[in-house]
Amino acid sequence: MIELKDVSYTYPSTVQPALHRISLSLTKGRCIMVTGPSGAGKTSLCLAASGVLHHDYGGKKEGSVIVDGKNVADYRSLSDLARNVGVVFDDPEAQMIFTTVEEEILSALEHRGLTPEVIEDRLARIMRTTYLEELKDRSPHHLSGGQKQRVALAATLALGNDILILDEPTSELDEHATKRIAEILKNLKQSGKTILLIEHKFENFREIVDTLIIMENGAITAQGIPDEVLKDIHVRGMVLPDFSNVQKHPMAGAGNEPVIQVENLTHCYGDVQALSGINLTIRKGEFVAIVGENGSGKTTLVKHFNRLLSPTSGDVIVNGKNTKDHSIAALAHDAGLVFQNPDHMFFADTVREEVAYGVKNLAIADADTVIDATLADAGLTDSATLYPRWLSRGERQRLGIACVVAMQPNVIVLDEPTTGLDGYEALLVINILKKLQEKGHTIVIITHNRDIAEHCADRIITMESGHIISDSGGA
Amino acid sequence: MAEILQYVHKDAFLHRLHPFTKIAFILVVSVMCLISTNLAFLVLMVLAMMVFAAYGELLTESLQQLKLIIIMSIIFILITVITMPNGDILGYLVPQGIPWIGGLVPITTGGLMIGFVLTLRFIVLIFAFQLFLISTQPRDLVHTLDRAGLPIDYTLMFIIALRFIPTLQIEGQRIHEAQLARGFNPGEGFIGKIRSVAPIVIPLVSNALLRSNVIGLTIDMRGYRTGKKTHVRERTFARRDYAVMAVLVVALCGFVPLMLAQVI
Repeated sequence: MIELKDVSYTYPSTVQPALHRISLSLTKGRCIMVTGPSGAGKTSLCLAASGVLHHDYGGKKEGSVIVDGKNVADYRSLSDLARNVGVVFDDPEAQMIFTTVEEEILSALEHRGLTPEVIEDRLARIMRTTYLEELKDRSPHHLSGGQKQRVALAATLALGNDILILDEPTSELDEHATKRIAEILKNLKQSGKTILLIEHKFENFREIVDTLIIMENGAITAQGIPDEVLKDIHVRGMVLPDFSNVQKHPMAGAGNEPVIQVENLTHCYGDVQALSGINLTIRKGEFVAIVGENGSGKTTLVKHFNRLLSPTSGDVIVNGKNTKDHSIAALAHDAGLVFQNPDHMFFADTVREEVAYGVKNLAIADADTVIDATLADAGLTDSATLYPRWLSRGERQRLGIACVVAMQPNVIVLDEPTTGLDGYEALLVINILKKLQEKGHTIVIITHNRDIAEHCADRIITMESGHIISDSGGA
Repeated sequence: MAEILQYVHKDAFLHRLHPFTKIAFILVVSVMCLISTNLAFLVLMVLAMMVFAAYGELLTESLQQLKLIIIMSIIFILITVITMPNGDILGYLVPQGIPWIGGLVPITTGGLMIGFVLTLRFIVLIFAFQLFLISTQPRDLVHTLDRAGLPIDYTLMFIIALRFIPTLQIEGQRIHEAQLARGFNPGEGFIGKIRSVAPIVIPLVSNALLRSNVIGLTIDMRGYRTGKKTHVRERTFARRDYAVMAVLVVALCGFVPLMLAQVI
């Protein structure tokens, strides 16, 4: 169905090829999963296989891409190609253009030259396969990331083509939502669809993957049946990272003074109670993981640590300061927050300036030394003069951490620090955090990744609908 | 968060109207309120809009912009009072008792009058457009404008611009929070304020550009621009549409002679 022969590609205005002599063949009803470090060219591969590179991008192309027996160059346009290939991108928000779920899917169906009866029939079927029936009248602003991604998948299925290309469809999703997507893909594969999947979460898709491809630096470095490919130790570490060697310090906080005390914290957004009666003490030097489904209140809780949110009732005391009596800027010395999407913070022209921003804001002494040391710890010394948005996702994630770490807050809170990273990149992030812990910082991470929580954190706090339901540290 | 100008899914009177009827409604209402300078007539129009909203079960939603309306009204009236003094003096913005500057900026009947007219026009227009936007599903608009021969690109541009307002709001807020956590300083003085905008605006625009690329690809791959169209569940002109059209015609017929006689 899709065949790439010796495909190389260089984006306009760059020198380094994004794809280097890629050859792969995807036959009908099969599923190929492509994985590898961020910045390895996975998205470029996805764009190449769907013909987007050929029709929309320019740049230097070599080799040939055959879709459904026809070279992509011979298709008239992208829309023409889209009759054969459907693509789901990683940004769920951008793929929902209309105002309700049903409208979105219906609109996609209306541009296929089908009869009204076929449209209604297909609409019902697609709603069923993607479990969207109950959400049909919801607007995009009332859908979770996972639900939106299902809508994007449904609208793509509406096109009725047999080949599906998915570019990290679950990167922004939690475990539950990922399982849903995996289940849908499994059913689709059974019904004969051909799937090219770019993913990091191999475990979730193990059942449906026929061929596993590893990409590094724009080239395919391993390709074959998953079990065979995974025999290689290097590949194993990337796809199925093993965090069990990470050093834990179970007694790290014992006897230390508390740095965060949450007392009877309740927070309401309008009528919705997001946190109810939270009590929590985190001691200096602890490494804490907060786990729980989306919407359980994890992010709401940590936003209280530096007063991005104020308690509706109750108190949050950070480093002995009641957050009620201090400004956000003053609390930045005590608790630093690294948000899930690092792209929400980058605005400077170079990596170094980006890190310097927070340091200058807090007027930290000996700024240059601090910045250099932080960049070195984050493994970004060589990238110091680059434009932050040119970095790979893994590097951007580390830069996001560096920006906050350079401000030397006592407590460093990270929301999903390993999103979209392969095993090695995730381990790199964890090791950076471990080093910070050894230096005396207190680390709190929010994570969907059970493995990371269990193997790396000294204490696991589980939240559910605004409550802490379990706390392994139980202090 | 109140979602500005977003379609509200309901099955009420205004929702059931054909988009074409609603466009005609906006046109007639706009023309009438822009020509008229009669306060009583404009107040009547505002009331009519509210009745329409209530009948269409959208009163709460349309009153969401009340704060904006009140602020804009005050600004309008202040501007006209300051810049267009005319007629009898009713009092002074700066009370006469204050030495030196007392008695500056007279409040005149003419200035107030123009201020009120502008404000009422503004309210009528906001109401009318808002009622149209929150009661019309973009898909119906696509159908109607497609039939009217408007290129689909313009329609898509319009609905995407509206659709992503709340998305940008949320994104802007997230960026603001991320920068606050880095000790973001809102800046002092005019230049400082402008400089301090960079850490918010640059990520917002960069991310939006990145996103627009995905939106563009999505539109192309779903064939919205070139695919062969089948319109399903299309709104048809019903009796209620003819009724509204008739009301609009009657209103215009009544309006024109009154306008020519310079009554309103």
